[in-house]
Amino acid sequence: MYRRLLINIYQVRNGLIHTQNTRLPSTKCKERESFAPVIWAPCTARPLGTSSISFNENKESSTSLSEDKEKRPEENEAKEEVNTDGQKSTEMNECTEISNATLASQLETETVDKPEDSKQVEKTKSGKESLLELLGAMKVEVTTVRKIRPSKTPRMSERADQEPMESAHSMFQHATAEGSQQHGTLNPALVAAVSAAASTLPNRHQAESELLKQLRKHEAVPDTQRRAEGQNIGHIIADMKVGRRTNGRSNARPTSQIRFDDDGKGYTQDRGITGELDAVRRRKSPFTSKRLNIFTAGMEQDTLSDLGPTLWDIDLANQIIQATNQTPRNGFEEMIQWTKDGKLWQYPINNEAGLEEEASVPFHEHVFLEKHLDESFPRQGPVRHFMELVITGLAKNHQLTVQQKKEHIDWFRDYFRQKDDVLKEAEA
Amino acid sequence: MASSCSQALRHHVCKSSRILRIHLQKSWPKEIVIPKKKTWSKEAVLQALASTVKRDPTASDSRFQDDPYLTPKTSSEFKLFSLSQESGRNAAKYFINTYPKYFQKDYAQPHIPCLMPETLEAQIEEASEAALIERIRMRKVKAAVDLYDQLLQAGTSVSLDVTNQLLDLICFCGDHDPTQENVPEQRNEETEDVQDEPQAKKGRASKASGLLKATWKENNNAGRIFALLSEPNTHSYSALIRGMVKYGAYSKAFSTYTDLLNNRLKADVHTFNALIIAAPEVKEKYNEKWELIVDLLKQMAEQKVKPNLLTLNAVLKALRRCGTLGKSQAFPVISEMKALSIETHNHAFPIMLCSAGAPIQGQTDILQEVMNEVSGKSFTAQDPDDAQFFITAMRICLDTKDMEQAYRVHELLGVGENWRLLGNDFQQSIYYARFFSLLCMMENIDVMLKWYRDLVPSVYYPSSNVMRDLLQALDTDNRLDLIPQIWKDIKQLGHANRQNLVEELLTLMAREKHNQEVQESFAECALDIKKIYDTGDRGKVLLSWTAGSLIDLISVLLAAHRRQDAWEMLKLFKTHNRVPSEELLNKFLTCVKEAGEVNQAVELVQISAGFCLPETPKLIQRVQQEFELTEQQRNMLSDLEIQTFNSD
Repeated sequence: MYRRLLINIYQVRNGLIHTQNTRLPSTKCKERESFAPVIWAPCTARPLGTSSISFNENKESSTSLSEDKEKRPEENEAKEEVNTDGQKSTEMNECTEISNATLASQLETETVDKPEDSKQVEKTKSGKESLLELLGAMKVEVTTVRKIRPSKTPRMSERADQEPMESAHSMFQHATAEGSQQHGTLNPALVAAVSAAASTLPNRHQAESELLKQLRKHEAVPDTQRRAEGQNIGHIIADMKVGRRTNGRSNARPTSQIRFDDDGKGYTQDRGITGELDAVRRRKSPFTSKRLNIFTAGMEQDTLSDLGPTLWDIDLANQIIQATNQTPRNGFEEMIQWTKDGKLWQYPINNEAGLEEEASVPFHEHVFLEKHLDESFPRQGPVRHFMELVITGLAKNHQLTVQQKKEHIDWFRDYFRQKDDVLKEAEA
Repeated sequence: MASSCSQALRHHVCKSSRILRIHLQKSWPKEIVIPKKKTWSKEAVLQALASTVKRDPTASDSRFQDDPYLTPKTSSEFKLFSLSQESGRNAAKYFINTYPKYFQKDYAQPHIPCLMPETLEAQIEEASEAALIERIRMRKVKAAVDLYDQLLQAGTSVSLDVTNQLLDLICFCGDHDPTQENVPEQRNEETEDVQDEPQAKKGRASKASGLLKATWKENNNAGRIFALLSEPNTHSYSALIRGMVKYGAYSKAFSTYTDLLNNRLKADVHTFNALIIAAPEVKEKYNEKWELIVDLLKQMAEQKVKPNLLTLNAVLKALRRCGTLGKSQAFPVISEMKALSIETHNHAFPIMLCSAGAPIQGQTDILQEVMNEVSGKSFTAQDPDDAQFFITAMRICLDTKDMEQAYRVHELLGVGENWRLLGNDFQQSIYYARFFSLLCMMENIDVMLKWYRDLVPSVYYPSSNVMRDLLQALDTDNRLDLIPQIWKDIKQLGHANRQNLVEELLTLMAREKHNQEVQESFAECALDIKKIYDTGDRGKVLLSWTAGSLIDLISVLLAAHRRQDAWEMLKLFKTHNRVPSEELLNKFLTCVKEAGEVNQAVELVQISAGFCLPETPKLIQRVQQEFELTEQQRNMLSDLEIQTFNSD
């Protein structure tokens, strides 16, 4: 018997282990599944990264490039894994194609937007910095697109994304080409835009040369400083709906620095929840900042003789009550108030509600009442029989207290004592 | 054979049972933790029930729900009804306590002490320590002091504890018998007129003046009794110093503190709290004040006195009077207290205090930090000034026009018991006024109207100024068609007699042309307004017609083609000695022409001539050209023409 039991137990336990084992691979699979799109994403974003480097020529993006390069082996590995999984499906591929197409189209629209915007910006004389801002923002936009998409674009084969990617690639190559020219001289397109902008102004040549000079000057300005100056471009960026992500790559937050300060008091719009979270993370809250360092933490209170609440404590409590709103908001709160005052019977919170005086009486005092039928009652006969019925009834009565039950029995004792003569006469 | 078999079997059973036990122990958790019995408070069920009740935006305060007739519609009614309820309660209490002999019958089956009259007369007559304690408990300062003197004269010694209690009482009351205690609602009376915002100061000032009436006198009973003590202890000093601080003898408090140190005693935390509050009063310069506070804190540390939350509050209150230092030092103070694990879950109040002194730009930052810290938390009031939190926060939001922050503040108000911190009715109205004017300024009309329906009139009775803000918001968002609705609310809120509000309403209605339906509702509204002008309150005329309001009203009526009503209105110019504008008369004439009423056109010209308007000749010309006139009318017109020509 025991042995059989034991065997059963063992079997069950082994079974459990087995199921755990079987579950492990499945979780692994899941991990891979979730991992794959994330890894795929930097691949598409990479050309973008390089383009932004050539535009921005700052350290940050170059480090991001190196990061990307580091990531690449991993990517490939991951892709191989995905491939060996062999879970390609045409549906998925279609899906990714669609997403890629949308991605590409978005990029296109933005690059189309670019010259117009830049022209507009140049009119406001903020020059190339604004363009850079724009492109920076664009980059962020693309990354957000990538982040949102993964649910739609799970695994994908290398071949499937080749075609749509190519279009994107070519576009970015174009962009990089554009950007690389800016190292020495200014972009011809920019110059053209400048001259177009200048033509609208009265003094054409002077304006043009001024604008160009301004642009060249901005070329030299360190990138970080440029970001800090993104004031005039605020409305453009606001229109673009930049969803910022606080990952390492988008260190530059152009929008977070934009605040409109029209009148003296200052409007502080443009402070979304992400911005707030950013702010919290970036600088430490003053609540955790330095302290006075007067007291030491482990100090124990000198034991003062506490004589209950003093007059002062009562007064403080009174003041607090007066200052705050104590009026009840609904009927229940009014009842709470009355309960606290002691005006209202307590609402029952357990089965012993209202049993204060009986709380210390054990139940057998209530139930076993024979001991009260002592020598004062006859040992047998109709009176005894009657009294037994009485105590049975009393034992089942939950309304009376033990004291009241005793009084009840005592009353009968007195009664039968008084009627002793009658009983004797009746030979009871 | 059988025995060996049974032995083997037994052996087997023993072994397997042991194995089973071991395995069972392995697979089951070692210890079974029996959950502790949960004890519920008396109000647990009621609290659970109360938490299910949400505010009904269509109902008034729960105080007024018993009697629909007394549902307040205006702010003044609200105040009147709530105060009368409270004062009724107070009157009943007064009578019960004044004539306790008539209220001795105890109806309640379990005795309810709070329904019985309080004993206000001392029961123990003979001079003893018990009698002294009784008088102290009943806060009879004079009687207690007299009894104390009697006891001393009789040679009986009074224990140090009781003497200290007596000192507490004297210092607390400032050597005066306290007046009848005020019940919370009563203090509203002084803060009249819930009309607009910055009257909080008024209330505070009057309260402060009430406190300052009693000052600490030289050689009062407290000082005398204190001097009589052979060995005053920390408690005695504490009572004396707190009393001195409370009644404004700040430098005296500090000298008493020096006295205490000379006697080689340690001060307690209350003494330090009092001294910190007094610190800004005894020094002139900001940095000196702060140095004194730091010095006191250091002495606390030296004497191993652990600061409490009240210390923190006292320091911050003192910092409020240290100018720019206040802002820079407030956060270190808070983190210091946090490091000492003083429950600072109620950050709200302290930060607001320091932000009160900071410039506006700083205030927003501080408010934001505070909101990040406190959002979603429920706090209980620990200091009388905690009730200022929501008002101050909303003021900052209004000053900086920060709608998002205002929403956060308002959301915080809904958390837990935080609504209690909003304070009394007066403060509530200030808070909602600020919130609502911010909404009027910053939000689009739909959101704003949603809030309007939500808040008005169940919790907030807007003032006429706020209603004007609302009208302006309607104007900016081109929703003037809502005006008749708003007018109904204005009437209900009792602002129908505000001249400038009504005139603004009329101007807005008359300014633009709307579609027929809207014009019709405008006309109804205009006639309603006219009634207000006509009737007045108990024979007293509340509003007086101005030329502008008349012109606006008539043009609203004309736009709705209510010529007859407009015609009657036109006569009012004469009775109220106002002059119509030329534009209005032209408009009127166009309207008359559409109706083809020749007689009225002529009369109109006559009225115009009656006012000697320079426009009259042109009007006459128009009438002559555009209407088919009878011979008589023609003559009349030419007569008029000559007259006006002559008068020129």
